[in-house]
Order: sequence, then structure tokens, then C-alpha cells
Amino acid sequence: MAEKQVPGMQKCIAVLWPSFLVAIVVTGLFFSAFDPDDLYPFGEQTEISRLGMYTIGFLVFWLITAISGIGTLYFAITNCMRQNPGSRDQ
Amino acid sequence: MTNPDATGPNAAPRSDEQIEQSLYAKAEKIYPREVHGLFARLRVLGVLGLLGVYYILPWLRWDGHQALLLDLPARKFHIFFITLWPQDFFYLALLLIIAGLTLFFVTALAGRIWCGYACPQTVWTEAFLWIERKVEGDRMKQQKLDALPMNARKFRIKATKHFLWIAFAAWTGFTFVGYFTPIIELGQRLLTFNLGPWETFWVIFYGFATYGNAGFMREQVCKYMCPYARFQSAMFDKDTLIVSYIPTRGEPRGSRKRSDDPATKGLGDCIDCTLCVQVCPTGIDIRDGLQYECIACSACIDACDDVMDKMGYERGLIKYTTEHAMKGGKTHIIRPRIIIYAMILLAIMAAFAYSFSQRIALGLDVIRDRNTLYRETADGLIENVYILKILNMDDRAHQYDLGVSGIPGLTLHKDMDIIEVESGGVMELPVRLRADEADLEVRSSDVVFELVATDDAALIAREEARFLGPQ
Repeated sequence: MAEKQVPGMQKCIAVLWPSFLVAIVVTGLFFSAFDPDDLYPFGEQTEISRLGMYTIGFLVFWLITAISGIGTLYFAITNCMRQNPGSRDQ
Repeated sequence: MTNPDATGPNAAPRSDEQIEQSLYAKAEKIYPREVHGLFARLRVLGVLGLLGVYYILPWLRWDGHQALLLDLPARKFHIFFITLWPQDFFYLALLLIIAGLTLFFVTALAGRIWCGYACPQTVWTEAFLWIERKVEGDRMKQQKLDALPMNARKFRIKATKHFLWIAFAAWTGFTFVGYFTPIIELGQRLLTFNLGPWETFWVIFYGFATYGNAGFMREQVCKYMCPYARFQSAMFDKDTLIVSYIPTRGEPRGSRKRSDDPATKGLGDCIDCTLCVQVCPTGIDIRDGLQYECIACSACIDACDDVMDKMGYERGLIKYTTEHAMKGGKTHIIRPRIIIYAMILLAIMAAFAYSFSQRIALGLDVIRDRNTLYRETADGLIENVYILKILNMDDRAHQYDLGVSGIPGLTLHKDMDIIEVESGGVMELPVRLRADEADLEVRSSDVVFELVATDDAALIAREEARFLGPQ
């Protein structure tokens, strides 16, 4: 499976969707354990409401899991090409 | 698989190249034909019931609060008569495990019933399809309209459809947020344009997800994105209920007149009208055999039964059956897989019920003052400072007695005489413990705080803490 044959939309879904699901689980676990009002991100007390902190937390977790997903996708595709040399020309 | 012209088991096997093309081909829009019949009525019932529950539930009241409110801003979950706190995370995790195992159990028994009747993806897709049919007309009209170049009439129809979709999706998003923040106040803020930025974000986020998934993605969510669709086959066996075409009865398929006798023409019961393909929301041909795209919605059963009636043939050319039954065997409902799933499920439910009945509606957290390890009082005693967080999870107010043990001669000092916490309230109580240095054997001793309700000895909470001294 050469890289150029995988449509961009499929790649986007492959990265964004599983990371979205994992981010929901992680957000739930994290904020069950920690009350946002008890957190001092970067040593600062924030004015952001709990709902805001949950949202930011969720988006940050999604970003992190998505970056990990991009890595997985990249290595899966490049390693697959290495094992099937010439598949890029197909 | 989405090609309606595929000709079933007789079709030539596809080459790798064709398969790869179909894997990466742009998904073509599927226009599921409207279907009437027993299973369609059941699904409409399911859709109406579940949508009704979804949109009405957050408005119900219970004992002065919203009946179901997963109040994230206040960090407490109201589930009718139960109130759960972050400390009760364990119960929530158990509930999720029970829900997951129930899905496994039902899948092993009855196949993908969840997919066909109860999955939010199906339910909202049905609602969006209904709106689409009301605005654009039936399958043929929709296909004709989409084939036309844009003109004023097409624009008007499409705009109407999208307006209705977006309005419905927005209401869905609003209701969703209403499960997590009190919906009446949320509604008031919405009407006065005072919705907070985060609430606005989630209303739009969930509304957009509904619009995209139910309006456009539809069966592709089931085919490409649903994790359950990928692993449900692990729960399947030869006794699981599946929707299947009976090839021994239907083949060889072929068109014929109503008056023709199929036996003399050498034909099976399938008249190859392709209605089963036209009604399929995932666009497959059930006659190709069991496919992972099949969400067991049984639209094809309704369509085919209707045709069989018209032809004067027996119903059930496509029907709910099992692999064993199709091979002429007997279907075993009670079998090891079912027994094992049921036993695990019952065990976890029992564990949940027991632990929940033993749950004590009182929470106690002890936080040591982090700034000073200890200090010496004027009369030469060693003093440690703590903040006690007392959480009354009961549905009425209580007064509590506080005691402490662990070091001989340990004394407890607090600023208030009576500890009273309202229902659902949290009290932060600073306390000081004092001990004689002579009684401290080690630098760090364990002490135990014990909190008991004055009117109910069963409401008791113990929490360990450390008492630090010199040496």
C-alpha cells in the first residue's frame, strides 16, 4: 500500500477518530481524579471555569493523542513501503 | 460491496486491484428506499422511543433537581435518587463495564440488534432520512434531483433540507449539553443570548457532529469508524441470530411473470427485483452472504416479504436465522458462550449491587498543611495542621463527631464546636493536632481521623494521616 494511494480523507479519519475516542476516555479519567479548581497550570491560578478547563483538557488530550496517531500512520506507511519496494511506482 | 449491480455468489471473484479500488474509491451516496413492514415499524418505534427519551429526559425533575444531570461544573452526577461524586468513580466504571458486557451478551444471542434499532448513529440517521424524504421526496425523486444542475428549485429544496437538518442538530447539541449542565438555566441563558463560551462550543460541536454523521457520513460511520462493527464478529457463533438470504431456496434467481411456474423455468424463488439492495442503508446485497457492513436492520426482510406476498410465495426468503438453522440443524440458545457471558455479567451486577448497598454516604479527605511540617506551641507541644474535607453524600443534613487516635495523649483542636454539613455539601475544616514530644517514637507517626454522624452510627468515615515531629 503506497502512501499516495491512501486518500487524505482516510488518513485524517485514521488519525483524528481513534485519538478522539481515546481523548474522551483520558479526559474522563483525568478529571475524575483531579478537580480543575485544584490545578495550577504552570504555577498560575486561572480564571477559567471548570467547564472551560474540561474543554481545554479534552482538546489538549486530543491534540496529544492525534500527534501520536500521526506518528503511527507515518511509520506504518513508510515501513510498509520499505517492505514492498517499488510499490510507490504502482 | 456498495455496487447495486453486483450479482451475488455467481459474480466473478474480484482481483486485488479491483478490491483496492473499491477500498479507496470515493464513497457514492446511498439512497435507501423507504420500506414498510413489521421490522420497519419496530425500528420506527425504537427511533421514536429513544429520541423521545433523549430529548425529554433532561427536562424531568426529581426531588427538586434535574432527574438525570451529570453535573460536570459542580462535579456531581444526579441519576434519579442516586447522587454520585468523584469519589464514586468506581461505581461509574462498573456501570460502564456492565453496559459493555450487556452489549456482548446481546450480540452473542441476537446479533447486531443494537446496530439496527438502538445505535445513536442509526437512530439519528433515520430521523435525518425522514426529513430528507419529507423535503426531497422518495428515492427516485432524490436521485433525479441530485442529477440536475443547480437551479432555483433545487437550491430551494436543498436549502430547506439543510435548514431543517441544522435546526434539528442544534437542538440535539443543546439537549446534549443539558445533560451536563442544568438545562433550565442553560435554556434561559440561550434565550437571553448569555450562553457561556464553553457551552456554546459544545452545543456547536455536538450539533455539528450530529449534522455530519446523520446527514452525510451515515453508513460510512458503521463501515469505517465504528469499533463495535469491527469486533462484533468475535461474539458471533453459528447460533447467533443473523439476517440472511436462503440461497438454497432463492437460486437460481431470475425475473419471471407472476403466472410463471418457477419449477418449469428452472428458477428459485428470488425474482431478482433488487429491492433488498435498494432498501439497504449500507448499500450491500444481502444475497452475497453475511457481510460486516450488514447492520441487521432487516429492511431487506420487509422488502422481500412484501415481494413474496405479491408473488404468492412463502415469506422468509430473507429472514432472521442462524447458521445452524440454515444448514438444517437446530439453534442452541443455551450454549457455553451464552452461559459464560451471562455468568460474568451477573457476577459484576451482583458486585455492583452489593458494593452500592454498602456505600457510605460520607466522604472524608485529610490534607496536611504543606507549608510547615510541624510547629511547637507555647506550652512545648508539637502541633500539626490539617484541612479536613467533609463531604455529606446523604440526602439530608447531618452533624458529625470527630475523633482522632494513633498517638497517646493526642489532642484535637478546631475552631467550631458543631460540625454540620448540609446534604450534598462539602465542608473544609481546619484542625490542629497536638502531642507531647515524649510520646512520639518516630519522626512520622500514623494517626487516624474518625468521623461519625451523631444521628446514624452507620455513617462513619476513617482516614489516615501522618503526624510529623522532630528527631
